[in-house]
Amino acid sequence: MPPQLRLNAVAFISPQNHPILIRPFSQSKDEQLKYHYLAHTSLDVFEERVNSGTKATESYLGLLFSMENAAVYGYITPLKMKIVLALALSDVVVRDADITTIFRALHMAYYHSVANPFLKLHTALDTSGDHSALMLAGSPKWESFRRRVDEIGRAAGAQV
Amino acid sequence: MSANSVPVTYAAPPTFLSSDHWKQFQAAFLAQLPLQNIHWKSASRPSIRTIQQLNIKLVPIDSVRDEQTTQIPLTVIERPLLNLYIVVCEDNEAYKNVVRKQIKDWHSSVIQRKGQEWLILYMDRPDTKATAPSFFQVKASVLDKIKADFNVDKRDRCVQIAWSPTFDNPATWVDVITKVKEGLLSAFDASVTQREDEVKRSENQRQMPGWNFCTFFILKESLASSFEGVGLYEDALLQYDELEASFYQVLREKNLSWFGTLISPGPNDDSLPLLSTTKKPYRDLILANTISVFDFRVYLVARQCTLLGRVGKVVEVGRKTIAFLSAFGKRLLEAKETIPLGFVESWIYSSALSVVEQCDHWASELQLEESSVAAFDAIKGELLELARHQLDTLGVQLRYLPLKSPFSTSSFLLPEELSQLVDASDYSVTQPDLLSSLKDKEAFFDLYIKLTNRAIERYAKARRRKFALKLHGSLAALDVHRGRLPTALQTFTSLPAHYAPHEWTSLESLALFEAMATHSRLERAKDTEWIHILLAFLKSYVNSAENELLIQAEDKASYIQTLVDALRYAADELGADLLHTDDDMLTVQIYDKNVETAGTQDGSYLDVVVTNHLPCDMPADEVIVILTGPETEKLRYSAKIDTLMPGNTTLKLFCAMPSSGTHVLDSTEIRIRKLILQQQCRRNSGPTQNARLLKDLPVLVHVPKDLRALSVSARQPDSIELGQPPQLLVSLLTGRNLLSSAKLKLSSSSGAQFDCKSAILHGRDTSTFELQEHSITLKDVDKDAVISFLVPYTEAPAFQALTVIMDVEYTTSSEPDLRRVLRTARLVPTSLPVAVNVQDFFRGSKLFSQFTVSTTSHQFVRIRSAELSVIGDNPDGVEIEGCAGARDSIITVTPVQPGNFLFRLISKHGSVRDPLRLTITYRMLRDEVEVLVKHAIDHMATESQVKPTDVPFLVNAVLSVLEADSSWIEPYVVTDILRVPEIDIPDKLTSRLPMALQEKCREVLEYGWREICIPVDVPRMNIIAAARIRIPSDPFGQAGSQPSKRVPLYAGQPIPAELTITTSFHWGGGNETKDKAYRMRFDVEELIKEWLVGGRKRGEFLAKDGATYTMAITLIALHHGELPLPKVAVTPLPLAGEYAMGSLALPSTETYQMHGAEKILVLPRGGRSTFILDMGTDTAS
Repeated sequence: MPPQLRLNAVAFISPQNHPILIRPFSQSKDEQLKYHYLAHTSLDVFEERVNSGTKATESYLGLLFSMENAAVYGYITPLKMKIVLALALSDVVVRDADITTIFRALHMAYYHSVANPFLKLHTALDTSGDHSALMLAGSPKWESFRRRVDEIGRAAGAQV
Repeated sequence: MSANSVPVTYAAPPTFLSSDHWKQFQAAFLAQLPLQNIHWKSASRPSIRTIQQLNIKLVPIDSVRDEQTTQIPLTVIERPLLNLYIVVCEDNEAYKNVVRKQIKDWHSSVIQRKGQEWLILYMDRPDTKATAPSFFQVKASVLDKIKADFNVDKRDRCVQIAWSPTFDNPATWVDVITKVKEGLLSAFDASVTQREDEVKRSENQRQMPGWNFCTFFILKESLASSFEGVGLYEDALLQYDELEASFYQVLREKNLSWFGTLISPGPNDDSLPLLSTTKKPYRDLILANTISVFDFRVYLVARQCTLLGRVGKVVEVGRKTIAFLSAFGKRLLEAKETIPLGFVESWIYSSALSVVEQCDHWASELQLEESSVAAFDAIKGELLELARHQLDTLGVQLRYLPLKSPFSTSSFLLPEELSQLVDASDYSVTQPDLLSSLKDKEAFFDLYIKLTNRAIERYAKARRRKFALKLHGSLAALDVHRGRLPTALQTFTSLPAHYAPHEWTSLESLALFEAMATHSRLERAKDTEWIHILLAFLKSYVNSAENELLIQAEDKASYIQTLVDALRYAADELGADLLHTDDDMLTVQIYDKNVETAGTQDGSYLDVVVTNHLPCDMPADEVIVILTGPETEKLRYSAKIDTLMPGNTTLKLFCAMPSSGTHVLDSTEIRIRKLILQQQCRRNSGPTQNARLLKDLPVLVHVPKDLRALSVSARQPDSIELGQPPQLLVSLLTGRNLLSSAKLKLSSSSGAQFDCKSAILHGRDTSTFELQEHSITLKDVDKDAVISFLVPYTEAPAFQALTVIMDVEYTTSSEPDLRRVLRTARLVPTSLPVAVNVQDFFRGSKLFSQFTVSTTSHQFVRIRSAELSVIGDNPDGVEIEGCAGARDSIITVTPVQPGNFLFRLISKHGSVRDPLRLTITYRMLRDEVEVLVKHAIDHMATESQVKPTDVPFLVNAVLSVLEADSSWIEPYVVTDILRVPEIDIPDKLTSRLPMALQEKCREVLEYGWREICIPVDVPRMNIIAAARIRIPSDPFGQAGSQPSKRVPLYAGQPIPAELTITTSFHWGGGNETKDKAYRMRFDVEELIKEWLVGGRKRGEFLAKDGATYTMAITLIALHHGELPLPKVAVTPLPLAGEYAMGSLALPSTETYQMHGAEKILVLPRGGRSTFILDMGTDTAS
């Protein structure tokens, strides 16, 4: 049994670097703010990794950085949507396979939520390349995405 | 440790060793070093490893003590890998007797050594070769003998080297070096394989009792050191990585009995450089099983990082140390009873800084690539930030920093631990910078800022803008804490701009919130800047969900309410209007796209929904919606309000302008005292750019036509005179309004200039008016009055249509304070509805003109009359007579059927100098019907069958029905009776209306006609020639005799005829020309199927006014029938001199055939034919 991971925050960021959903699993406002900052700063590292020239065939980018009592992991989907995980720092080996599993689950959660046809109710028909409709998935109006993310968070040791 | 140097022993006969040759040899051999590019192909590794460089240390064989004296595993390269024996022997005999034994002794001692190789170097001396060349065979056999004696297995361990003066030439050493490399490799491979087996064996025994991790570590590390010794850093690193992994396994099994305590902090442990492997006798501690976990892990990381530094992976070093420092720092804090206060923070702080220093040192020896320079900067930034976060923790504990974000969130400590107050003297910190700054608050801040700025600088170089922004934010928070509010305000106001573009509203709103808090603490005036910050904050507030906002206010709703209240006062204080665009907190949407007309006054109502996204009431004064129409027409709908409740408010906005048509929503404004929140609704996208989203499409609003409102129209006047400056008939219809004053302005976008000064009042209205340069001002006009002016204008280019923009500013007597503006753009067609073509026929002193009137559009034109008259007092006494028949009835000209009008002109004195004028009275069928309908319904209104106010609606209804259906046109044109198709009007009118229409048909005929006057010039014709071929009634009889009966003519019979040509100069103009004469030519037309013409077919004659030229010709008809006579062409001859008509140009000539309508009856030629018929034979006889 691998040591239990503790998931502290999840962030979904659109290809245009707009936040879709930032979900810190913490009640403290200060802590929440910290994860907002971490999600925002992780964009710089995403950019570095993507531009580093190596062919990005792998969605999982590994540990982006560890800072402020959190280990931040990154994942970029083939459509350049970014998912950020913040784990509580601990002195144990974190297996990439475990993280990838969480990322896959989060990606699927997003995918299922975006498949909701009602998201595009108020947009024109020819907006296949437009992500603004997809941005809505994270808005408070749509509960299902948050619920799915929270479920995954619970499974990954977050205190929801 | 002597890195990169492998010991190699040598042995030789003592005589050689003591000679100069040996020194020479040794120097030459060492000159070939270091060995380059040794390719190690190991059986246990998939790929070939290349040792780039390997140095050799030559040692005498005696100096190496045999067999290991200690149990501690040494690296495989600490003992010699290769043993050399140098043989110098030319003599076969000497070899057999002496040398062989010496070699044998050495050989036997050497082959006992495990994991070592040997090599015999045979020196060939050329000087002896030169003296005794015949001994070649013998010499060769010495080497052969050595080979035969010692090469036991397949490998050849003997090598020859030629002794030469150019001894240090690499070429002579090639064989030797190859052999040395081979030997070294084979020995190294054997040793490593053996050692790896040992390691594997030890690893497999880890579950057995008595296994010791530390022993295993030392064993495995020896392997790593071996790899490091030969320069195989990657392989060495791999060993350490495996060690780390197995350490974690041990850790997981919670079996740390091989170690000492977790940590036994030494006096300077918190400030020693992390990456130094020599700061403590780590290996000894490990061997003694007393090393603390702390020391062990520091050693492991230091070794790994050193190796990474060797291969230039400084970025990896940084990454590894950050992960280690944070993870292990946290672990250390779990055992905080055993560690002094502040130890962990100080350790992380100084370690991070020392790593930065060490990495810089390594990087200075490397040439980093562009991309890795950025990565290196980024990782240094992270290290510095890590160090900075330790200062956060210390500062919060010391109360130098407040216990709140962003200072309190980065600590590894639990919040309750963090909140404990600590005195600076309680810390056991040895880092000098830290030590001094902990005592002094200002020094601490200096250190804090310095370190943060260093991190920002690194991030900026690495282009990590967002990391730098975060640190800037923390610096601003520090400024707030220290009371340096102006700088903090500056930072906080500049930060939102960086977060806004990507809609990170949470961070944006936080920065704005901080900016406002700072602003209020500064007690600055709530000026424009403050309003902008506040509006930006409110915008981000409404954009983010309630529970996602990160601001620290307890009751957000009341907080927002105070802000909004403050906003209203601030807006009141503003000196000038402040326009703030694109606001999200108050949105105005059009509720109903069909606008409602006001009914009792000019203007219309627009229903809008104003949404207040804020949780509190918003004080507002006015809501304004601006619509734009064609030709920059703008409609401004507005409503005064007091406050806007949260959520939706439905408002009815009023616009006093009587405009109509389809308009586009341009912008909306909400006025709060002097602050105007504006929302631009039109996207300035080019026409090629398709609107991709629904929200980008323009919002269209249809404003219906208010028929009772003031309106202004422009059209062509009823009477148009071509050749005169064009005029425009502008009519103002007051509708329901009793105007106290009105000002009409005309302009055009196509460049036409209107001359209002010369405008003429059209009609009988008696209202007072003034004419100015560009406008017409009317005073006191009654209701339902129509005032028309004829305004002359100059048209720049002659287009088909003229764009007229009519602006009317007016006030009504009922609302004297309200100035209404009507802006109407009309396209007035300036082309004429009819086109006129003329064809002239001269007949002696008479002229027949045929005018063909056709319509230029698809519309039907009704023409009542066409008259030709002389302009002026008719000095020439021209008589004009039209065709009598066309007078009474109306002619309808359709696109397929033009109308013809024929006139006869008789001029007494020849050509007419004065122009004539053709006046066509016409109207369009459409206009006629419109007048008719209006007239009929007006009449019904006077008989009180219809309410007068309903008249415009009824007329509109009937006309729209007529427009939709064309079946009534044909019957109407023929019968003048208008049958209206099915129409939707009140029942009691349905029966009356057709009757009324029929009744009024006749009356209506008298007015509504329009006139067009076209000036016509009478053409001139110099010579009119009338040609005639006359066949006398008795062509064959005697002259003078008059037969009573016409003589029959037969085909083939020659008929004498007379050709006469009468010339007239009547239409040539001027009496002086009438006396002249011209040479002319006639030409009888050849009709080869009908007539043979005999006599002078063609000839010349002298033409004079009124003279007749006569000539006889003979005609022979070629067949019988009614034959037209041949035509005669008369042309003037181009002759100069007295016959020219004053100019060299040919005189214009028209010839007409007087016999053009005559036909001659030609009978078939008479004759007799005899037919004999056989009546049959008499068979009886």
